[in-house]
Amino acid sequence: MHRRKFSPWPYLLIAPALITILAVVFFPVLNAIFMSFQSYDLRRPSQIRFTGLANYATAMHDPLFWQALLKTVIWVAVGVGLQFVFGFMLALLLNRKFPGRGIVRSISLIPWVTPGVLIGLMWRWIFDGNYGVLNDLLMRLGLIHDKIPFLAQQSTAFPSVILTIIWQGIPFFALMLLAGLQGIPEELYDAANVDGANAFQRFFLITVPSLKNTIFVTTLLRIIWVANSVDVIFNLTEGGPAYSTQTLSVYVFNKGNTLNLGYASTMAILLALALALVAVPYLKRLFKAQEESR
Amino acid sequence: MKRKLVFILMAVLSMVAAAVVSAQQKPVTIVHWYWADNPAYSAQMQKIAADFNATNGRGITVVAQEYPWDGGAYSETLFRAVIGGGGPDTSSFKLTSTPLFTANKLLVNLDDFLAKWKDKDKIEPSLYDTMRKASGTKSVYVMPWNTQVLYVYYRPSLFRKAGVSVPKTYAEFLEACKKLTMDTNGDGKTDVYGFGMRGAKGGQEPWGSFIWARGGNFDNLTTPQAIQGMQDFIDLYKNGYAPPTAPMDGFNEIIANFKSGKTAMTVHHIGSSIGMVDTFGDDVDAFPFPGGVGQWTSMGDTENILLASSKNKEAAFEWLAYLATGKGQEAWCVATGNVPVSRDVQQLPFFQNNRFMKVSIEGAPYAGIFPILDTTTEWINTIWPNTVAAALGGKMSAADAMKQLQIGLWGK
Repeated sequence: MHRRKFSPWPYLLIAPALITILAVVFFPVLNAIFMSFQSYDLRRPSQIRFTGLANYATAMHDPLFWQALLKTVIWVAVGVGLQFVFGFMLALLLNRKFPGRGIVRSISLIPWVTPGVLIGLMWRWIFDGNYGVLNDLLMRLGLIHDKIPFLAQQSTAFPSVILTIIWQGIPFFALMLLAGLQGIPEELYDAANVDGANAFQRFFLITVPSLKNTIFVTTLLRIIWVANSVDVIFNLTEGGPAYSTQTLSVYVFNKGNTLNLGYASTMAILLALALALVAVPYLKRLFKAQEESR
Repeated sequence: MKRKLVFILMAVLSMVAAAVVSAQQKPVTIVHWYWADNPAYSAQMQKIAADFNATNGRGITVVAQEYPWDGGAYSETLFRAVIGGGGPDTSSFKLTSTPLFTANKLLVNLDDFLAKWKDKDKIEPSLYDTMRKASGTKSVYVMPWNTQVLYVYYRPSLFRKAGVSVPKTYAEFLEACKKLTMDTNGDGKTDVYGFGMRGAKGGQEPWGSFIWARGGNFDNLTTPQAIQGMQDFIDLYKNGYAPPTAPMDGFNEIIANFKSGKTAMTVHHIGSSIGMVDTFGDDVDAFPFPGGVGQWTSMGDTENILLASSKNKEAAFEWLAYLATGKGQEAWCVATGNVPVSRDVQQLPFFQNNRFMKVSIEGAPYAGIFPILDTTTEWINTIWPNTVAAALGGKMSAADAMKQLQIGLWGK
């Protein structure tokens, strides 16, 4: 029997990338896990010591933690959900031929390529209750009679930040789904037409199944990114007013800023575990679907 | 032989003298971090550094680097840089950060430097006491630089329009907020709000005046007097005498609202007076926040620190001294309008004849600072704005809000 000769080359070639990932990702993660078991507060450096699960117990009893977690679920479900819906609509539109399609495709990427900090600052002024463009537009259209302090009211602040993240994320879905749409063979639609399928049937029986894997991957990526995102919310509201826009990642960031790194690390670990609970079944289902399709 | 010995001795002495002179004149670079409220102030700091570099005669070169104040995030940025092994030699600083920096042994004890400093007595001794108190030790770790006493800006033209005089008491002040809230064009909507309330971080400073005016203080925020002060604050918003955006209004927003005529009064300090005069000319003035049962206004402070990681401490202190009592003090305070800590500079006609400086000095006797604890930074940045926003939005009573603030600041 022919025995494969051991070659060190594959390991040596991936070593630089692996070492970089270990240094930049795994080491900080291990450090964070270690800190989560300590009272690691730089305001009281003489009191830093191992405390076991004390930080985790604190989180379980912290009403702000649970509120932030709930906010995160809503933030992701509504934000990613509507990004997907509007992104899909945009992809279907951009898949058609029309004059200026190339320019429209380029312009539609603007929200995606704009840095999150800039998005936060820009929308902060758009939503402004005294000078904001949105209030001006709504008043001119006769939809409101008094200006709305969108970011100063608890009832409107969270929907406002969700609207902002939807605006930011639409191009990502549009781009990925457009690429998927362009890979669907035209013959499938021709055959469906011959069989008398209507637009509704063609969409749900051809388009959506053909894009299943793309949809799975893009929504999983966006769920993780949106759940972890801080920049947009922080620059819009910093988690206020009255913690109404404070998702878990923003809470982690705010707590980290107070230099209570032990507790911030604890919440970051819990957020990662929550995301893993979503990601693992997702990936299992994706791999199973891929196996079945072979 | 004797001649030879004298010659050798003179040669050795010359070499030693040259070495000493050479060491003294060895070029040294000091990196200084600062924040600036606007580009003009930034340019002024760069000029001060350039002047110092040209005149110190000791080969010291200061490189002044600007970082944004960002509602207090400057202190966090500085801390992270220094604790990470980087950061500058010296930096602008706020007293509230002292416990954090001293707990981590990041600051140089200035006692020895001050003992040898010929201009030490040009600064009010009570200021050194304040610096010592902030560190919780008997030593000075923070070098005084300038102060800002908060007062109330107002528009004389709007006061005349509303038929209101400058309030002398807290009750008159609350009444003025009501009368100055006006619908100026008859469309049934408020065009001018009486009070430009600051609900975002930093707003705890004007808020403190309400607490003390009712007889409360910061040692116990749950007394009936303190709660009443909070209720007054909430009522101003609830009754529509402050803009609806107040819960999230920070420095930029309150200044923009005042400058656009949306608010008739707002609280800030002399640091913004030059911009106010540029906008309004004579139609802007100020009065000290009036007292009621008690009286308090925030003494904004800006100091400078010498980081323990600096490799050129002597040179760094010389730069700090220049800023505190030298030409740097005069240049900075004239440009920004801040109250100088140097008694000599305070006597200059520029400060004696400035109407905003007079109001600052009038408020000085009852100007104070928040308790400097290791919880203060989080309290200012997160707990205060979110708790007050909940109270302003009607989601929390004044009593509950004060209880939250008490626990957040004092831990119990």
